Amino acid sequence: MLWLAVKTLFHEKVRLIITLIGITISTVLTLMEVSIYLGVMGDATAVIRNTDADIWIASKNIQSFDFALPFPEHRINQVRALPDVLWAQKLFLSWGFLKLANGGREQAQIIAYNPDNGIGAPWAMLEGSASDVKGGRYIIMDKTSEQRLGKLNSGTLWEMTVGKDQYSFKLVGLSQGIKSFTTVPLVFMSYNQFKTLAQEIGWGDQTSFIVAKLSDPAKADAVVKALRATLRDNDIFTRDEFIHKTVMYWTVQTGMGMAFFLTAILAVLIGGAIVGQAIFASTMEHLREYGTLKALGAKNSEIYFVIISQAAISAAIGYAIGVIVILLTRGGMEQSGVSIYLSPILFITVFFIILLVCLLSAYFSVRKVRMLDPVTVFKG
Amino acid sequence: MSPALEVKEVSKIYGKGENKVAAVDSVSLALNQREVLLIMGPSGSGKTTLLSMMGCILRPTSGEVLIAGKLVSMLSEDKLPDIRKHYLGFVFQSFNLFPSLTAVENVELVLRLKGCNKENLKAQAMGLLDRVGLVKRAHLYPMDLSGGEKQRTAFARALAGDPPLILADEPTANLDSKTGRDVLMLLRALAEESAKAIAIVSHDPKAEELAHRVVFLEDGRLKA
Ligand SMILES: Nc1ncnc2c1ncn2[C@@H]1O[C@H](COP(=O)(O)OP(=O)(O)OP(=O)(O)O)[C@@H](O)[C@H]1O
Ligand SMILES: [Mg+2]
Repeated sequence: MLWLAVKTLFHEKVRLIITLIGITISTVLTLMEVSIYLGVMGDATAVIRNTDADIWIASKNIQSFDFALPFPEHRINQVRALPDVLWAQKLFLSWGFLKLANGGREQAQIIAYNPDNGIGAPWAMLEGSASDVKGGRYIIMDKTSEQRLGKLNSGTLWEMTVGKDQYSFKLVGLSQGIKSFTTVPLVFMSYNQFKTLAQEIGWGDQTSFIVAKLSDPAKADAVVKALRATLRDNDIFTRDEFIHKTVMYWTVQTGMGMAFFLTAILAVLIGGAIVGQAIFASTMEHLREYGTLKALGAKNSEIYFVIISQAAISAAIGYAIGVIVILLTRGGMEQSGVSIYLSPILFITVFFIILLVCLLSAYFSVRKVRMLDPVTVFKG
Repeated sequence: MSPALEVKEVSKIYGKGENKVAAVDSVSLALNQREVLLIMGPSGSGKTTLLSMMGCILRPTSGEVLIAGKLVSMLSEDKLPDIRKHYLGFVFQSFNLFPSLTAVENVELVLRLKGCNKENLKAQAMGLLDRVGLVKRAHLYPMDLSGGEKQRTAFARALAGDPPLILADEPTANLDSKTGRDVLMLLRALAEESAKAIAIVSHDPKAEELAHRVVFLEDGRLKA
């Protein structure tokens, strides 16, 4: 009976087009919302995810990666003292103001790392290498910051205010696609270099994070427990906990997650309503014919199959068009600075959600057919 | 040999208590192969109700329906579709063709439904349309067919799967009188050529000449 399903579906072109537009819009909106959400969360946790550390130690009551406050750096000794700690490193997160060519200023997020071991260093380099920041006022910025800062060329000098004073830095490298959640341009520099500036603002003996690598990552929970007992003025996380904390902050505390998910759910529901409406209208129009099929010996299940396969075929085609739209617009959106995270699992999940909603939307039609008495076909 | 279809003392009672109506009241009749039986009677006399019971679409309140000697009125609800599929073809007053299928596809649909040989379904459907003289119009959609052509398509569909019985309710009611006559003649020819047993419900006086036998219903009872 797939034959009948396909014939009727494609015969009623206007209805089919409306259905497909509904599903396509639904697919595009859902994929867009979820992929942007994931992209933004990916940005928010990028440094944590791309730093090869099992433990993160931050200031007390930290809400997310971006809101680190300085604390005494000597606490690193207590971390290094633990037998399971392979190494521990300091990472500074701070803020500065870049001077633009047009005289304006732009806020920047500074990440200061140790270029000797590259812990916390930019990981996707387009020009230069992460170790180039060593030994001077050298910085690495990201290609995506060009939107805010204008063209970035290696070798150019940048004025940046840190604390009260303005310093001159040489751009020695460019990374590709490293963004912060806040979309503020990232500036990478060497930890020691930053400390010479920090000295002047009174942060000389401070750090923002201590990150540690364990000899056995499976012991992370135990080490975190031990550190929590000794470093009572800090918050201590495993890597996953810190990612979770950061994601939860942006998702729940800011209400952003709710907004994204409501939009995604609405998109799915609207798509479902359009499909359900189209299939129901089609079923109602064909009720007499379905009754005739029943009279001619068709089982209910055979007619359900016609309706359900129409819903499934519509879902598959509409979804496919939606995916094509997403793939075609992806480049443009990324170009304009939107972070998008698409993965096979996301595509598959959204497909099954769309399919499920389309199938559920056929429910009223199926019920109508179940209650259809073939005796009615004799009515004139 | 048992008749193609036999009803014994069938009744259909609608409603309860005061409102009880016997739409069909103890009707017995038999229908043989190659026979065209005409059922006549005033409006509301129970013709459609009787035909529905003969066609295993409606279960009688009491009495028996036998198809090819087999008692079918006792079968459970879920067995009836199969009985209809194998033994029966229907023709309706308002044609009931799928508007999104061409004439030949409407016939093909029922061939598929009845599980006919999957090969050359199109050719089989064309063969059936040929028997009702519609080959030239085979690829038109119902909206482009005349009433008579629609009803002939419905005949071809009723013949699909070669069921021994064809039941028609007012097949000429929506047709002009000339077309109605042609259609009835076609039915009679089909009965004789392909050894079908055909029961027609009709008000149409022309039907009387073309039927082999006529019975009258009044208030659900067969009139002698
Ligand atoms: N589902 C039902 N519920 C209650 N009464 C019914 C039902 N179906 C039919 N009847 C009644 O049974 C009687 C016979 O109806 P039926 O449709 O069989 O008549 P008919 O001879 O086919 O009439 P017509 O020539 O108008 O088609 C009528 O009085 C009708 O009102
Ligand atoms: Mg009637």
